[in-house]
Amino acid sequence: MSGFGGVLPWARRTLVERDKILTSEEFSAILGICQIVPGPNIVNLAVCIGSRFGGARGAIASVLGLTLGPISIVMVLALLYEHYRYLNSVQGVLRGISAVGVGLIASTGFKMLKDEFRYPAMLIVVIVTILAASYFHLGLGWVVLISSPLALVLAWKKAHTE
Amino acid sequence: MSILISLFLKLSAFSLIAFGGVNALLPVLFNLAVNQEHWVDVQTFSDYFAIAQAAPGPNFMTVTLLGWHIYGVIGALVATFAIAWPSSILIFYLQRLIMGIKDPLKKKSIQYAAAALAIGLVLSSAWQISLQINQSVAAYILTMTTVAITFFTRWHPLYLIVIGAALGLSGVV
Repeated sequence: MSGFGGVLPWARRTLVERDKILTSEEFSAILGICQIVPGPNIVNLAVCIGSRFGGARGAIASVLGLTLGPISIVMVLALLYEHYRYLNSVQGVLRGISAVGVGLIASTGFKMLKDEFRYPAMLIVVIVTILAASYFHLGLGWVVLISSPLALVLAWKKAHTE
Repeated sequence: MSILISLFLKLSAFSLIAFGGVNALLPVLFNLAVNQEHWVDVQTFSDYFAIAQAAPGPNFMTVTLLGWHIYGVIGALVATFAIAWPSSILIFYLQRLIMGIKDPLKKKSIQYAAAALAIGLVLSSAWQISLQINQSVAAYILTMTTVAITFFTRWHPLYLIVIGAALGLSGVV
């Protein structure tokens, strides 16, 4: 519920630093796996951590715990939006927030990109993916089909250089 | 009723291709919701995106709001469930498989490959969605300023969202 601007940093602080349920390495390893698999990252994370402590039931409980509160809040906001969307001020506020929101997504990408400079060959994968998706407008299936063999080969080399 | 089933099926399929999370695939969601299925228009989509960014909780609430638009509370629940269940089941089984890989080099390779792919998808997503959502030069400047500030400082994203809201309210953006 206090997950303004995404839940991940908050999840890390609570699980690793405050409650010490997981070590920092365990958290990173689990997060790494969750980012490989498709789907909402945070839901995947909840499934992984929940199932570690309570199997399938734990997974379901942690997903519900994570989503029910925010869903209720977002529906109240949706109701307010429905009533006041015609107001210029409301439209202005949402315009401003969405411009910032796009920037936040881009900066997540750029921050992750920073780490790739340690093994610059990996940047080829990033560039190929961007070109395939944004310049050639290929469907996601094609993008993944083209990029992932290249990504795996380079990642294999990167892992060996360390 | 048939629109609910279509919502459920389309979003379930979307869940299984959402590499890099929902935000990495906003353009695909946009295309699905606006161009293919005509669930919402461009303006409503970008407003829902804004509400999901500003609200506390996971960022994929854009999907919940689309569901709400189509079929009220039930639509919202169906949409959220649809986006979550296929990938949840997948990861429930895959995590043990991946954790079980003994060779650390193999494990690392898979993670590095996935990370590089995710970065490409996230950056493409931001690029394509900004072309749909930003309607003015000022909006693009705000987007780029946000990137610069989050890249070089450790400001909490909430401050930036508040600043964005204030700029929008005052008519600058």
